[in-house]
Amino acid sequence: MTRGEPGSGRATAGILSGPLLWLLLFFILPVLFVAAYSVGALHVLPTDPNVITFDSWSRFLGGRHSIYLGLFWKSVRISLIVSITVVVLSYPIGYFLALCVRKRKYVLLLVIIAPFLTSYLLRVLAWKVILGSNGVVNSLLYQLHIRDPEHPIEWLIYSQFAVMLVLAYVWIPFVALPIFVSLDNLDRSLLEAAGDLGASRWRTFLRVTFPLSRPGLAAAFVFVFVPTIGEFVTPLLVGGTNGYLFGNAIQDRFTAALDWQSGSVLALFLLGVVAILMAVFGRFVNVRNVQA
Amino acid sequence: MELTSSRGALWGLRLFFVLLVAFLYLPLLVLVMFSFNSGDVSFPLQGFTFSWYQKFATNPALLSALQRSAIVATFSSIVAVALGVLASYALVRRRFRGKSAFSALVFSPLVIPYLVFGIALLVLFTAFDKFLTATTGTYFGLGLHSIIIGHVVVAIPYTILTIMPLLERLSVSLEEAAWDLGASPWKTFWRVSFPLLFPALLSAFLIAFTLSFDEFAIASFLAGTEPTWPVFLFAQLRVPSQLPQLVAVSSVILTVSIVAVVAAEVGRRVSEKKYGNLLGS
Repeated sequence: MTRGEPGSGRATAGILSGPLLWLLLFFILPVLFVAAYSVGALHVLPTDPNVITFDSWSRFLGGRHSIYLGLFWKSVRISLIVSITVVVLSYPIGYFLALCVRKRKYVLLLVIIAPFLTSYLLRVLAWKVILGSNGVVNSLLYQLHIRDPEHPIEWLIYSQFAVMLVLAYVWIPFVALPIFVSLDNLDRSLLEAAGDLGASRWRTFLRVTFPLSRPGLAAAFVFVFVPTIGEFVTPLLVGGTNGYLFGNAIQDRFTAALDWQSGSVLALFLLGVVAILMAVFGRFVNVRNVQA
Repeated sequence: MELTSSRGALWGLRLFFVLLVAFLYLPLLVLVMFSFNSGDVSFPLQGFTFSWYQKFATNPALLSALQRSAIVATFSSIVAVALGVLASYALVRRRFRGKSAFSALVFSPLVIPYLVFGIALLVLFTAFDKFLTATTGTYFGLGLHSIIIGHVVVAIPYTILTIMPLLERLSVSLEEAAWDLGASPWKTFWRVSFPLLFPALLSAFLIAFTLSFDEFAIASFLAGTEPTWPVFLFAQLRVPSQLPQLVAVSSVILTVSIVAVVAAEVGRRVSEKKYGNLLGS
């Protein structure tokens, strides 16, 4: 037979080569370039130092000048608050849809998820319009004479509060999904058994349902924490100087400051943190859960 | 007895669900509402108008930004779906060494911060251009082509996640039958697998398209002098007089994308039911 069997090695190599080449060239290679840049093995800008040096790394990790390390911990704190809030708010939604609704549960799930599939920037813009000192909330308060136009509620926008509110808003729809999936796959007979054995609903929840949904909770947590820790768009739009985060520092190194070497160090550090998080929490994350 | 919640708890959960839906949709409704307001974007409402819509429809910079995004999204999602089909076939139908590493590689763009990825591509392309300038005197520069390359990478895992479930349920025997009847692998794909996979391919295309059309972080580093819609929108947000127009465009895009998403999802479920008897063995 002259034609290669469909399962043959050559055919497999042919199928693999496309995606493999694309990702090696445009995903792995660029990250390696950043790594090379961070130690000065690569220089593109005329201002770059011409020697291989770990200066940027030690400047970043050394305690004395570590404004970046401080910003990093600030980002961690904000991401933690946002992730926990979002998971706590999404859990009842996932529980309700998975265990309490019989008809149309997928329709209701889509109602929750749909906002996530619209433009991120537009959802942030909506809040900028709402929270601004001349925005919807404040102008409504002026209109109702609750607040004087000279004294808008300042902390509504350009604050850490605004950053956290908007990030929570953005991520809730996405996080309801893994929680829903883990509860929806729950074996109902376990709940019946608990009931038959005389456990109250509350006890059943605490001893059966909740422990079984923990992997879903962990996945949900990772789904918010990982993207928010590198967030820079929301702080730019509603964060002001108080909401300036680690991601903003990275962006500034590459744009305004043109200090690509330090920027590469910060970017690589962030990537390392994400990789560690995925190594620790990755086993909870069934990547299929991304799909409804 | 209801197993999961008492009557009181059920009403509590219902109320919470309604409140959360309100929280999710009210800001979007506010955006749409103010797009028809003749004053600026604050209370009191002045009066009903279409003028912001007319203004943006005649704003050449805005329209060309939208057009650029459409171009980038079209090309990047076609390439991403093509590569996603290949990767899905490899993952579902083939056995090979290093499969788990391959799987980790294709799904890892899901978790890379787009900020870092955008920067990495910026470094790669700039370094490559520097090399080209030094050796041949030419360069590619940044622009739509660089954004397309980046968007393909981040869209690949989503296309695989959409295609794989259907491919898994699609019986191998259909492909084997075509093969036994003498069809080439190419012909087998186009005449047998492609029509059956079409619903998944279409929804993968739509997901990749929306992802690319909205993507800001990567595009902001790679756009050069050709801002796509999100990059343009972001730059214009600093100009207060532009805000009502932007709110108007945003309302249109918001509505279109929600309708598209719902249609894609409904279409996927309907076609999966329709082909249900052909899937699996």
